[in-house]
Amino acid sequence: MSRFRALVDWLANTSDWLSPLVVKEVRQAVRGRELHYSFGLCLVVGLAVAFFGTADALTGNGTSGRWTFGALIGCLTFLGLVVVPLGTFGALRNERLEQTLELITLTALSPRRVVIGKLLAQDVKLATLFAGLAPFIAMSFLLGGIDFGTILLWLPVLFLWSMWACAACLFLSSLFTKRVMSGAVLGGVAIVMFLFLLVFGLPRVIFLLMSRGAFAGGTVFSFGVGAGSWWGLAIATTAGLATMANLVLLAENRLSLPTEDRVTALRVGFLGQFLLITAWTLSFLNEPANVKWSAGQALGVLGGLHLAVVAMFTVTEDLVVPRRVLLRMRAPSPYGRLLAIFRPGGGHGAIYVLAQMALFLAAMWSLQPTSVSFRWSLAVCGYICLFTGLPAAVFRFMRPARAASFQLRVAVLVLLSISLVLPDVLFYVLWQPAVFDLRYAGRHLLNPVRTLTNWAVVETNHSFAIPLAAGLAGLLAYLALIHLGMRMTVQPDPIEPLGSASAAVEPGSANISY
Amino acid sequence: MLQLDGLVRHFDGVRAVDEVSFSVERGTVLGFIGPNGAGKTTTMRILATLDTPQRGDARIGGYSVLENPEEVRRITGFMPDYAGVYANTTVIEYLDFFARAYDLRGEARRRAVENIIEFMGIGDLRDRNVESLSKGLKQRIALGRAIVHDPQVLILDEPAANLDPRARIEFRTLIRELAADGKTILLSSHILTELAEMCDTVTVIEKGRILATGTVQDVLEGVRRRRILSVRVAGPTDGVERFLLEQPGVLNIHEAGGRVQFEFGGGDDDQVSLVGRLVSAGFPLLEFSAHSAGLEDLFIEITEGRVQ
Repeated sequence: MSRFRALVDWLANTSDWLSPLVVKEVRQAVRGRELHYSFGLCLVVGLAVAFFGTADALTGNGTSGRWTFGALIGCLTFLGLVVVPLGTFGALRNERLEQTLELITLTALSPRRVVIGKLLAQDVKLATLFAGLAPFIAMSFLLGGIDFGTILLWLPVLFLWSMWACAACLFLSSLFTKRVMSGAVLGGVAIVMFLFLLVFGLPRVIFLLMSRGAFAGGTVFSFGVGAGSWWGLAIATTAGLATMANLVLLAENRLSLPTEDRVTALRVGFLGQFLLITAWTLSFLNEPANVKWSAGQALGVLGGLHLAVVAMFTVTEDLVVPRRVLLRMRAPSPYGRLLAIFRPGGGHGAIYVLAQMALFLAAMWSLQPTSVSFRWSLAVCGYICLFTGLPAAVFRFMRPARAASFQLRVAVLVLLSISLVLPDVLFYVLWQPAVFDLRYAGRHLLNPVRTLTNWAVVETNHSFAIPLAAGLAGLLAYLALIHLGMRMTVQPDPIEPLGSASAAVEPGSANISY
Repeated sequence: MLQLDGLVRHFDGVRAVDEVSFSVERGTVLGFIGPNGAGKTTTMRILATLDTPQRGDARIGGYSVLENPEEVRRITGFMPDYAGVYANTTVIEYLDFFARAYDLRGEARRRAVENIIEFMGIGDLRDRNVESLSKGLKQRIALGRAIVHDPQVLILDEPAANLDPRARIEFRTLIRELAADGKTILLSSHILTELAEMCDTVTVIEKGRILATGTVQDVLEGVRRRRILSVRVAGPTDGVERFLLEQPGVLNIHEAGGRVQFEFGGGDDDQVSLVGRLVSAGFPLLEFSAHSAGLEDLFIEITEGRVQ
């Protein structure tokens, strides 16, 4: 008994090294139904597959391991991409609905440690389920038809993407605090996951089970051994890890108190993601011209989309930052000016986006050093500046202190939607042409999607001045936002008079530098 | 130990907290009194670092809630007006989790949890599921959670709400023991009789402004300037009411349950004289009583229409 007690004490002391969230979640999971049922399912599926696999092996074809491994991976995929992520969603949802998250906030645990702890707790669950199926997977190797390398490759990849799905569910769960909305999102996530699995996963598993080894293991399960495949796997893994880190940071942003700095880490994370995209495309610099050109196109699309989404969320941020954050920003730092682009506030957000745009233009010039391509890249940045900067600047000029970031983001989306349909609607209402002509024309210059996808026509018609002028207007809007942001942070006491409908404003500081 | 200096917090143009300033000495229990929406919870959330003031600052143990929130959290325990319990978690696991969350490690953590279990007298509940406990016990566990890291200051928002009388008495005992242990306690409650027995000082807040602050005795003295007296006579009360109307210092006469109640502005000697006059006037006096003012009278007296 004393030895058992000593072991328990040793385990308790060792658990000090773990996140408190991991310890709590694992304790809850051990008593909860989800893990029991999942583990039970693992064992039942494993036993069934082992039984049929052994029976099939008696025929002596020596390839039974292939389809048994497929069936086991199908089971793990279901558990790893649906059951455990949904449990993750529920865990954080309950934490928010029961208001226990606020109690944790008061402890030494930061929101980031909370999110990472939640994610690690799900990893423990995943590892348990993987371990449950491990003997059956080993058996599939012994049955033949599947090589050890493929097994070693598949399991970590599936584990990684299960973690990614958990991180995505944590983020989705952090979006809403209301029970109804949270429930609706949970339902939506479950349906999407089920459809995803139905479209991409289950048919393959079912087909594998029915065909029992009809596929060649090399084409179905392994990535091959070519350098290109490994490079592809490395890129996919890096992309998975980078986006997972940003999902964690997004969840942290949603869980942090409004009085804290919620954006600096997120900005660093998304800059990292942008640098990864740029670095990946620049890795083709020494390739032949056509490959370089394709890499430029990939950067244009991926980088442009990244910039557009980031700009929509950063430039529309409120200009006034919480007082506690302001005090921290005032603290002297040797990297003060450098760190300014990561600081919260719409003004800093504008600088952050402009800095990334400069990187984007430089990378595009390296990959596609022609004036036409450069003008296209400028137009990408210009449209982003116009659609995100202009509404934000106009609103901030009228109500600089008002907290309205959500409304501004909606306004940006509405404005973009209008620009997509309004040119055609106005054309047909005002001119009433006999033929319904959707070909790209001058009226579409306000439509960024059509203009950028038909840039050759724009260049042929020499009408690039209009998008570039729109971009200039957007740039001016960004500069105005930066100026306004500076002005807002130097006001000593901007509390608005009582009775006004606007939100409260924190006092600023006179020592803020951009 | 706890110093609030001109705290201001507005929400959409509504002043939730308006220039709130007061201080609490070490080992003192301060009752925070005010109607719903008066600004009690907002003030407490600012002190617990869950919110920031737009103007002013508060210091707990010398640390600013604005500049040193981490240090403030380390020395402060906050118990909101909800229990906040987990499913599939025993009492000991619940306390252990919060001890870990406060960065207590190894033996220190185990000792802290055992101390709380002993102090709270919940040894027989240690392996019970927290969710299955009664409201009173959950409240007790919540208090244990708030003090598991041995904070110097405790902020309790409506801690006695929804408790039965027995649980309230037990809770009151725990609070007094914590205060005797040197902890500074700020607590709000609607149950004013409870506050009178628990608190050394009270602060009254309405519409975000502090209306009165001081020891319970001092603040009650202010109310007692007008005492409430009650007279019961044999037979009809009309004559007594007319007689009392003519007496100096008598206000707001009304009949309630066969008694004539009125406010009296005089002192003890004046009260003796008034009884004498009533008897001399020939009223068949059955009962004469003085109603001693409590915190509820104080609350009504102070908050009624003073802030517009």
